[in-house]
Amino acid sequence: MKQSFDIGSVMTDRRGFLKGGAAALAATGGRAQAAAQLSVWTPGGSPSYCEVHTKIVNDFIAKAGGGDGTLQCGIGAATEFAQALLASIAGGNPPDVALLWDSPIALGSQGAFVPLDDYMAKSSVINAENWPGALLASCQFKGQTFGLPVAAGTFGMLYNQEMFEAKGIPSDRASFPKTWDELRKLSKEFTKWEDDRLAVAGFMPPREAESMPIWSALNGSQIYDGKNLRYTINSPENIAMFEYFLDWLNEEYKGDINAVDRSGQFRLIYPSADGLPPAFQEGRQAGLESGSWAQGDFYATEPAFQKWNVASYPVGPSGKQPVSGVWPNWFAVPKGSRDLAAAIGYLEYISQYGVVEWYRRNPDLPANLKAADVVPDIVVEKRGEEFAKDATDFFKAQRDIAIPMWDSPVQSFGQDQLTKAIEKIYLKSASVKDALDEAQSLSQAELEKTVK
Amino acid sequence: MMAEPTAVPSPAYAPARRSARAAEARAGFLFVTPWMVALLVFTMLPLIATFVLGFAQYRPGSTPTFVGLDNYEALFADPAFWKATKNTALFALCLVPLKLLLALGLALLLDAGGRSANIYRTIFYLPTLVPVVASSIIFMLLLTPNAGPVNVILQALGISAPDWLKDPRAAFWTLIIMSLWPLGIETLIFLSGLKEIPDEIQDAAKLDTDRPWERFFGITLPLITPMILFNLVIGIISSFQVFVQALVIGDTVGRPGESTLMIMILIYRSAFRYFNIGYAAAIASLLFVGVLVLTLLIFRTARSWVYYEGESR
Repeated sequence: MKQSFDIGSVMTDRRGFLKGGAAALAATGGRAQAAAQLSVWTPGGSPSYCEVHTKIVNDFIAKAGGGDGTLQCGIGAATEFAQALLASIAGGNPPDVALLWDSPIALGSQGAFVPLDDYMAKSSVINAENWPGALLASCQFKGQTFGLPVAAGTFGMLYNQEMFEAKGIPSDRASFPKTWDELRKLSKEFTKWEDDRLAVAGFMPPREAESMPIWSALNGSQIYDGKNLRYTINSPENIAMFEYFLDWLNEEYKGDINAVDRSGQFRLIYPSADGLPPAFQEGRQAGLESGSWAQGDFYATEPAFQKWNVASYPVGPSGKQPVSGVWPNWFAVPKGSRDLAAAIGYLEYISQYGVVEWYRRNPDLPANLKAADVVPDIVVEKRGEEFAKDATDFFKAQRDIAIPMWDSPVQSFGQDQLTKAIEKIYLKSASVKDALDEAQSLSQAELEKTVK
Repeated sequence: MMAEPTAVPSPAYAPARRSARAAEARAGFLFVTPWMVALLVFTMLPLIATFVLGFAQYRPGSTPTFVGLDNYEALFADPAFWKATKNTALFALCLVPLKLLLALGLALLLDAGGRSANIYRTIFYLPTLVPVVASSIIFMLLLTPNAGPVNVILQALGISAPDWLKDPRAAFWTLIIMSLWPLGIETLIFLSGLKEIPDEIQDAAKLDTDRPWERFFGITLPLITPMILFNLVIGIISSFQVFVQALVIGDTVGRPGESTLMIMILIYRSAFRYFNIGYAAAIASLLFVGVLVLTLLIFRTARSWVYYEGESR
């Protein structure tokens, strides 16, 4: 039977896919090809993650009318993956498509990835207008696009409704604190120390470098100004922000971040590296920032409660409006890709179709506007269709207020400097100003060295 | 006394012997060729390339461009480089003597262990087979602040347990403790040296003194100095290359407080996280030269303290 499916801007049949897809044709200058030869690499490697990506590659090959599709999964996390990817690019044998957990700008701006602008312009799927601007900014440098933010988890405040209700606090999204002061006040309602052990926490002062651009924007500033190629880590608003967080730590958490960490994993919804289970799922933490991925990952550790919800970030003292952010999974085509047509075809396929299956099984939110609406299976199973749809709608709405992130050509360097500064601030081994000044000066110097 | 006459080959046999020698040399050369080729391709060329790239601005996807000493200038101005150098040197200074002492102690126990020594030797060697990543994670679980068995025991004994992985002062020593395990290879090398000491010498020493420590310092220790030299050199090289344990504890930022930031981490993150291959090559070149100089210095001083059998002093 001849099956038809919509790929790219034209309707095409299975056999004609690679020959007929507008973008694919453009990519190869009209080269006709009988079968796709596609190799895809992904970092990570949990069984469900590898399984869903294997299925997407296989589905693509089947719809392309056959060929050879291979998926290398489990190569390692971001840095180990980059190591393998760089070796393959240098060796002239890279994969056709690579999934990245770090922004493609750093490598793309050095010429390691194929600029996608020409192919995007000719495609009805991966065209620039089909991506939220803040998301695409994470792939662009000096007018060129080096990857696509195919699945982009958006951030939000995750909270335990059952803990709220037990204290008679309204637990609906609309009642969630709108300012940092309100959040801090609410947090104190929950926090309980048993001698030197933090038994229960409300909300923690933020300390993840990855999401710090969001907190900075909530306080009317930014960490990196992509338009002017300038870091602004030590802006007055950012200094005031960390002073505020430190004050929060002193007031509610005995000023001792190590005592907090000794008491449990209060940072994330994953077990800590030294084996402590996440306090949120234990029912020992009222809430924390997380993202759309939490819809699935929450259940990876058996939770002590079922009713969780998500709300927008509260606004800081110097901020004006709520904002959010994204943490994408980017796809890029390394220079030296053997089958550029198949690679571009795959980007179109995964952006529109593959990502839907992906979100259903691993809730990384589809970013392309052509992707169909769908909800994660696990949320439907645990909380019902209505709640699943409401949560997905919330995370999708965060895309519209997302700030540009991940857009520095020295992203990892800047992030490491910020991580170091945050650690110094919370361990009180440096003043807020000194720590941020150092991070600013090193990051700006590295940026200038790189872009000169 | 007359000297023994030297056998002089007859002229008739000389070409045949020369031909046999040439054939033997050819065969020998053929046998070592694969190894030499591998050495050239996988060791010498990368080494040379590293030195060359140290003088280049090279990021993946771009062509290397010569920048002279720019990378080295940036390196000497980089606070992270000095922090990592200080950490690594201190790490080597603490770890190597500790490792030598513990391995020697274990070897002495095994040497005196009688028939059960073989079992213990195997037990002590087995940890060497455990991947470093796995052993590092096991250590982290053992040292978890509240529920970790180490702190539970310490607290039960009334000892205030440190924050092994989160306190910058403690984390450095945690790294050293983790790197002390395993000791199998060093112990086996010492043990082989102890086994080589002839019984007659030990017996003669027993006639001279009945104090074991005098026999140890007078006879045993000098006779195993070649093994000490070997373990010392290998220990210094490997401690300057400490990587996996430091990465597992401190990630690429050397947390907590850069206390676990080592030179190899700096090289790794410069190359594969910041994608600055030229800069990473410059650090690697400096590390190579530093370790080489240190090794040569040790070999130079070794003439005065290492005893080789048959050597007269």
